[in-house]
Amino acid sequence: MSLKNILENWSNYRRDREAGGHHEYEHMWGMAIDLNKCIGCNACAVACYAENNLAIVGKEKMTKKQGMHWMRIERYWGEPDLDKLSQSSSQYQEHGANFLPMMCQQCNAATCEPVCPVAATFHTPDGLNAQVYNRCIGSRYCSNNCPYRLRYFNFYSYYESSWPAPLHLQLNPDLSVRDKGVMEKCTFCIQRIRVAKDKARMEDRVEKEAAVIKVGDSTFRAAAGRGKLEDMEFQTACQQTCPTGAIVFGDMLNPESQVRKLWDGHQVSLGKTKQTKQNPEKRGYRVFEALNTDPCVMYMERVREV
Amino acid sequence: MNAGRGIVWSWALFLPLAVFLLLMMSSAQVYAEVPNAVPPKGDHKGEDVPQPIEFPHDIHAKINEINCMYCHTYARRSKVAGIPPTSKCMGCHSVIATDKPRIQKLTEYWEKREPPPWNKVHDVPDYVHFTHEKHLKRFVFDNEELPVERVSEVCAFCHGEVKNMTVAHKVKPLTMGFCVRCHEANKGPSDCWKCHK
Repeated sequence: MSLKNILENWSNYRRDREAGGHHEYEHMWGMAIDLNKCIGCNACAVACYAENNLAIVGKEKMTKKQGMHWMRIERYWGEPDLDKLSQSSSQYQEHGANFLPMMCQQCNAATCEPVCPVAATFHTPDGLNAQVYNRCIGSRYCSNNCPYRLRYFNFYSYYESSWPAPLHLQLNPDLSVRDKGVMEKCTFCIQRIRVAKDKARMEDRVEKEAAVIKVGDSTFRAAAGRGKLEDMEFQTACQQTCPTGAIVFGDMLNPESQVRKLWDGHQVSLGKTKQTKQNPEKRGYRVFEALNTDPCVMYMERVREV
Repeated sequence: MNAGRGIVWSWALFLPLAVFLLLMMSSAQVYAEVPNAVPPKGDHKGEDVPQPIEFPHDIHAKINEINCMYCHTYARRSKVAGIPPTSKCMGCHSVIATDKPRIQKLTEYWEKREPPPWNKVHDVPDYVHFTHEKHLKRFVFDNEELPVERVSEVCAFCHGEVKNMTVAHKVKPLTMGFCVRCHEANKGPSDCWKCHK
């Protein structure tokens, strides 16, 4: 985004948010995670390690919170019932823990983006929060500004220790292997998105005309010449692996997509700091919504019998 | 007398200048011919990369006019252009020019059932994901004014005039500035995640 571009297209940058802002989108990738279905098996985290060349740092560094798990299962214990605890021998509560799969929320108003001194993290026309490894200088400013703590820094060069001799053959060639001094995070499996989009372009499945699409309260200007992808044409690694199908991923700009229907069904919309729900029994919510980060991941609350 | 000498001298200066200018214009015209495309600018003097067999691109592509994509078949349908399998070489060379030393060396590899260990000439860093198929689609297959027979002129954007070389040399810088200037001129995408991921 050069200065020349900004000056030439000044009127685009002056556009109000209601008219779609200054971004031209091709897609708006979003996710919906049903916590009722999540059993905390960590299969998604393992799939992410395999797909995205994540470094295995070892037990010692993991305890120092230097783990490189882009997808992690957060575990929460509820209020303990003291009467029941005294009767049983277990120190944990009866119905077990609550699980929350946590990956980069791909915020539309990301806190990490404006603080990067070299613009290594920016917003793509896919509505994703990109991280460009070869531009990153490792200031770690973005990680400190992320309220979700979802950015991981390569403090060491893990290449030799993570994938000793024959194991380096399992590395995914569609993705670079990060070296030390570089920040990294979930990309919504950009290599799979790229393959699907390239395939659509090669088959001439292209939307010819620009459009203005309303998603909930937000308005998006969709660019002409964007690829026309079918819903579920490809899956992210975590979604593909989830044994209970808790994770749904898709294009929010496509009104037919499964993820869009889930968001609409749970009365959660983009571009809000507080959801106004007609039906309070709908379980959908977004994490740290009040911070106005506008995340693209919706969680559906877990309901238990008491 | 003096004036006459002056005229002779000015002619002596003018002639090489004119020849030089003509050469400049004719060399510029080689690139200007490709329709609907602005070729990338920039030159680079690459080091010689030793190859197991000194493969003569000039004999194949220039004298015999074989299309680049006859051997580098994968260019039009995948990320990489690819080195042809030895069976493709032997398809012709089990019959043609079998008495030449280079072909005899190739036949040795073929009988040992080993591919010749070719060395990579045009290499970009691991964090750059260049895709041949999309560039070919943009400049050749979607470009109705350019017949597929002239594909080598598009290949020359990044690989130079390979049909004038024996083994390939790197003659274009293949740096990010080289790519981005071409993307700006031809209205290619400018999103970082198109190439880096």
